[in-house]
Amino acid sequence: MEFEELQQIWDSQSNQSLYPINEKALHNLIRSKKKLVNSITNSSELLLIIVNVLSGCVILFMNLGTQNISMYILSVWMFSSASYLLLNRVRRIKGGHQFDMSMLSELKHAISIATYQVRLSQIMRWNIVPIGLLSVLGVLEGGKSVWIIIILLILFALAFFAGGLEHGIYRNKKRELEVLLNKLKRESSDDDH
Amino acid sequence: MTDNEQKIIFEKWLGQHKGLIFKILRAYAFTGMDQDDLFQEIIIQVWHSIPSFRQESAVTTWIYRVALNTAIKWTRKEKKFSQPETQEVVQQLLQENKVQIDERLSWLYEEIHKLDEIDRSITLLLLDGFSYKEMASMLGITESNVGVKINRIKKQLIAKSKKYDYHGI
Repeated sequence: MEFEELQQIWDSQSNQSLYPINEKALHNLIRSKKKLVNSITNSSELLLIIVNVLSGCVILFMNLGTQNISMYILSVWMFSSASYLLLNRVRRIKGGHQFDMSMLSELKHAISIATYQVRLSQIMRWNIVPIGLLSVLGVLEGGKSVWIIIILLILFALAFFAGGLEHGIYRNKKRELEVLLNKLKRESSDDDH
Repeated sequence: MTDNEQKIIFEKWLGQHKGLIFKILRAYAFTGMDQDDLFQEIIIQVWHSIPSFRQESAVTTWIYRVALNTAIKWTRKEKKFSQPETQEVVQQLLQENKVQIDERLSWLYEEIHKLDEIDRSITLLLLDGFSYKEMASMLGITESNVGVKINRIKKQLIAKSKKYDYHGI
């Protein structure tokens, strides 16, 4: 077949509804999602900010009036982490996204979001280390049983491991997008030479 | 723009241009479940894009642009990260239809589906009659590069069609 014949085959398909749309389900979907943009990034950011603020508050109020310096430092550390996340969130949202972008810009935008997720997950993963150390020091200062320290260390190690898995998922997603971008750009460079 | 205005435009766009969205679904998603999943993603993006539409391009071009950009980034893996839907939303958006489909057209879609994500979008734009200039603007690459890619895709499709003819299917 020549390309003109392929074109004729293509043109033969009518614009009639190949798949009838379930109107009720469609409206439910729009209603439930219309305010939801970048849902994964949004929810993970908000969750991290809330967890850090709440943990900071709980640690601070439980240790008010005690001499446990590590717990005060830990509380400040938690508030600082929440502030850092908030600042990054504001920067990301200000960066904005318009829909009149070309595929190239769209892919670059998706990669910038993926880069942000990769960086955030990496920072939050390593943030477990100082939090873990300060928690253990606080428990030691409080004169608690060695078993509590062991349990704490195991829990923090598990959190560190889980953070690594999450980071890996974001990194793979970013790599997939970069492959697509390269596919789009590669012949562009070849063509220019 | 009020919610109601946005809803009216959305329904009008969907009514007039759903055909092009279905073409993209068939080219990018193979199973019914995948097509439904991609359709949801495209619909959400089209909805969000309405306030940004400035009538500098035709609605068809705009929807094509939004739908293709969504399809290119869409993968089934995304499903793992998405939030669980309510039971209402889980209902399938696309229903089965008993329309008789041309066998040669099915073959053509299969061949388009075998191309990589970028080439698939170029093929769809080419078959739907977009100019090199429009394609270059939608893809963000030069017209000459579009030309290079199209020549390669055409050769590939013609070669595949010769095998298809040879086997007398």
